[in-house]
Amino acid sequence: MAINDPKTRGKAGGVSRRTAIGGMAAAGAALAAPARVWAQDATIRWWSPQASPGQLSAYQTQIDLFEAANPGTKVVFEKTSDEGYQPQLAAAFASGEVPNVVTHLPSFAVSDYWANGLLESFNEVIEAVGPEKYYRGANDIYEIDAGVYAGSGIGNSAANMLWVRKDLMEQAGIDAIPETWDELRAALQKMQGGGIYGAPLPYAKNSMTTLTIIGFIHLAGGQIFTPDLQVALDSDETRNALEFYKAMRELCPPGATNYSWGESLTAFVSGATATGIYTGRVLINVNDQNPPIADHVTCATYPTISKDVPSWTFNDFPSVFIPKAAGDMEMTKKFAASLYDGAGYIEQLHAAPGHVLPVLQTVAEDPAYLNNPIIEKYTAEVELMAASAAAGHNLGWESPEHKPNVKAGAIVGSGVLAEMVQRIVLNDEDATQVIGETAKAIEDIMKA
Amino acid sequence: MRIIRRVLFNLFAWALVLAVAFPLFWMVVTSLKPGFELFRRPPTMLPETVTFEHYWRLLTETPFLRYFANSVILATTTTLVVVTIGTLGAYSLVRFRYRGRESLAFLVLFTYLLPSVVLIIPLYLLMVKLGLANTIFSLVIAYTTFALPYALWLLRSFMAGVPEDLESAALVDGASRMEAFWDVILPQLLPGIISTALFTFILAWNEYLYALVLVNSDSARPLTTGVMTMLISAFNIEWSLLMAASVMMSLPLIVVFAFLQSYLTRGFGAGAVKG
Amino acid sequence: MANATQSPLERNYARLGILLIGPTVLVFCAVIVYPLVSAIYLSLFSIYTPTLEGEWVGLSNYRELLAKGEFWSSLWTNIIWTVGTLTLQIVFGVGMALVLHQNLIFRSLARSLILFPYFVSTVVAVLVWRWLFNDLYGILNHFVMLSGASDMPVDWLGSMPNALLSVILVGAWKYFPFVVIATLARLQTIPDHLYEAAKIDGAGPIARFFDVTLPQLRDVLVVIIMLRAIWDFKEFDLIFLLTGGGPVTSTQTLPLLVYKEAFALNQMGMASAYAVVMMAIMLVFMILYIRRTREEEDR
Repeated sequence: MAINDPKTRGKAGGVSRRTAIGGMAAAGAALAAPARVWAQDATIRWWSPQASPGQLSAYQTQIDLFEAANPGTKVVFEKTSDEGYQPQLAAAFASGEVPNVVTHLPSFAVSDYWANGLLESFNEVIEAVGPEKYYRGANDIYEIDAGVYAGSGIGNSAANMLWVRKDLMEQAGIDAIPETWDELRAALQKMQGGGIYGAPLPYAKNSMTTLTIIGFIHLAGGQIFTPDLQVALDSDETRNALEFYKAMRELCPPGATNYSWGESLTAFVSGATATGIYTGRVLINVNDQNPPIADHVTCATYPTISKDVPSWTFNDFPSVFIPKAAGDMEMTKKFAASLYDGAGYIEQLHAAPGHVLPVLQTVAEDPAYLNNPIIEKYTAEVELMAASAAAGHNLGWESPEHKPNVKAGAIVGSGVLAEMVQRIVLNDEDATQVIGETAKAIEDIMKA
Repeated sequence: MRIIRRVLFNLFAWALVLAVAFPLFWMVVTSLKPGFELFRRPPTMLPETVTFEHYWRLLTETPFLRYFANSVILATTTTLVVVTIGTLGAYSLVRFRYRGRESLAFLVLFTYLLPSVVLIIPLYLLMVKLGLANTIFSLVIAYTTFALPYALWLLRSFMAGVPEDLESAALVDGASRMEAFWDVILPQLLPGIISTALFTFILAWNEYLYALVLVNSDSARPLTTGVMTMLISAFNIEWSLLMAASVMMSLPLIVVFAFLQSYLTRGFGAGAVKG
Repeated sequence: MANATQSPLERNYARLGILLIGPTVLVFCAVIVYPLVSAIYLSLFSIYTPTLEGEWVGLSNYRELLAKGEFWSSLWTNIIWTVGTLTLQIVFGVGMALVLHQNLIFRSLARSLILFPYFVSTVVAVLVWRWLFNDLYGILNHFVMLSGASDMPVDWLGSMPNALLSVILVGAWKYFPFVVIATLARLQTIPDHLYEAAKIDGAGPIARFFDVTLPQLRDVLVVIIMLRAIWDFKEFDLIFLLTGGGPVTSTQTLPLLVYKEAFALNQMGMASAYAVVMMAIMLVFMILYIRRTREEEDR
């Protein structure tokens, strides 16, 4: 299936491997039958890690609309989580007991599963939605094999925006949002104190730390891979990024060693940190949970090592895909396409305005989408995030020149990059050696 | 002098007990605080405003009750299955002589060692083969992997504590083995069975890993993974709601335990002391 | 044991015995033996978890893991965790049992409160402790700063050695009631006349503990230690939910390593190999234990 590594994934090899695992054949053969029986009761299972109360009720609207239009079909929404979807999907794929539609996983998860032949082509769904409605190039990252799409985007996200409190900046006498790391550090040092910390950067062993450090390496002008996917981690840029990240430790809350998205977000929203690093979700949470600071928050792209280095926005590219083993493929594809339908899609986006940004240009320009109190109140911020996300990248696709990296999901899942951060920042190990070992570990994953 | 010593001892003992129980207290207190009071620094020891909104939200806006029902069904079924099979098995292992008995007892011990992680994928495949995937029953089956060896182990030592003379007397009186088991052994074994049932119930109620991997649909998801996925998320960490869920998750256990505690300790003693 | 001199009645009994153990054996074969054999079989392959496709690699998984530093460091962590938390459980458990054995006001309430940690779900225990440990709003950090021990909040779970200590502590808190229940039950069966005799001999409370109580508790303690050692050794939920094995791999025990290999790295074969090795290690302890108890019974 895979295009990158014919040696380990050759067609012939696949066949012989299938037979090699003959011990599991008894189980495997018997799998097919019940799986088909399961499919016949026309239940469509929909998984997503994005399931805040607002999003859930929007999903329910979409489900109701679809069920009304397709009598006899039942859609069940089931929640997974950012840190937990890997084992759940692994078990699901292994058994053939898969969900029909999975949304909001990062794009690199899709390419990983696609490369292993686990996914259904998404071309028909994209046709049904209307390829012309998408932002131009929005689906390029899913075109791992020429002409075939492994999935599609359901939105965009700008995951590493710098969120700041204008009131605290004023108090500290800072008149411009920092644009370089030196400025950022100086500003945070001034704002930290009186129970308020500078930034909620994660130093934990989780995917947020991995994704954040990838961002910082790019903010230092570096990259993890060269465009033809040679590991390029071992560089001065990486060392600079880690050095700065280490220096930031004293400006972060002590518990940042266990922060993931939720803790990091809550730290900023509750007022415990002067800055934040997150998507537009901040907006609705601040307005709901801490209204007194709501008029003072704004965002900018994250500062870089120097003004010469452009900012780099981390975009998860929240995706949609369909596992190959899903039953009732026709209805499944119909449902996947229905997720993009006008009103339902807009309600989904409005559940957390600015968090998941529209991937359909037609929707982004739709007055029904723009007519939302949060989007109206924070027009500049939402526009900035939309622009940054549109130009955003992630480990599966580090720059426009990069080939899609089907191993990105495995690399994030392995946690080697988060471990690198912890070893250097928390354990004080020698950076050069740790980076070298991490580069080696990534090479091993690429070869596996 | 004696009185002073008693008072001091009581104070000391209760200080210890309260220290151990402090997390329980803090859990309840947190669950009653409104959201804004939670982020107060320093924290308030007692809620300034008592609110039950988190409990209300839990019951009305989340699938908590569904998870709760699932957990009750799951733990009860597991307990019934395991205790029934285990009691018969323990009777056989202790009071009958046949080839392979010793090896079986060894196998029971050995299965204690099995870390759950090893069995997960093969078990999941087995569940799908049986058409049971994503059902509560699949978890019941998975839970017997650790609950049955445990129950057998406990029941075996309880059974050894039942005097053999009683059974012999019944046999002499003309009862069959099964009649003797029913009329003589079972009543003697009852505290042990209750104790085993309670421990099994707790194991099943608390299990996390199998539930995480084997069940992915809300219709079968138990409380442990349900509460985790319901509340720990990337968009918000709601500690009040989490603590309310924790209280609700623990209350039934505490209530049940309050009534069965004496059985439990007595039964446990009988089991631990051989013959 | 069956032999030629058995009477028909005995043979009947043996048959009944086999019938009664039947369901147990069936269940064991279906849900334990079959998956176990699968696991051992899988450990000889290199398998990508989601597809379960893999190739025969023989023993190379084992060779690789024994050469890997991560295996040995996880094993070491596992031993520290087990010994640390077990020691605390036993010391604190026996101590608490002795206290609760005394005449205490509201004794049954005290017992219920003590047993609480064991009965709550690990998920609940972890949630509560993570809230107590919270860096910004946690009550423990408030106490620490109030007492003047530190003017900065302590990072309980994210840095070493705090993380391992915290995990060990929470483990002890969660599981020591098991020791209390078992010990208390045994304490109640120690005949009073033993204490009276010791008193007449002029033994003080401490001497009575070592001369009377401890020898009486010995058997039950061996059982408890063995059970708890095994459970602690393979504990997954508590550590996984509390620290996830971090920082880096400082609190990563073997079960977490198995999970990571199987699901984060998607290497089911390698994961099975780790699991099999882990079982082998436990088997050694197990055989030692069984030998010991047999020797005692023979005495």
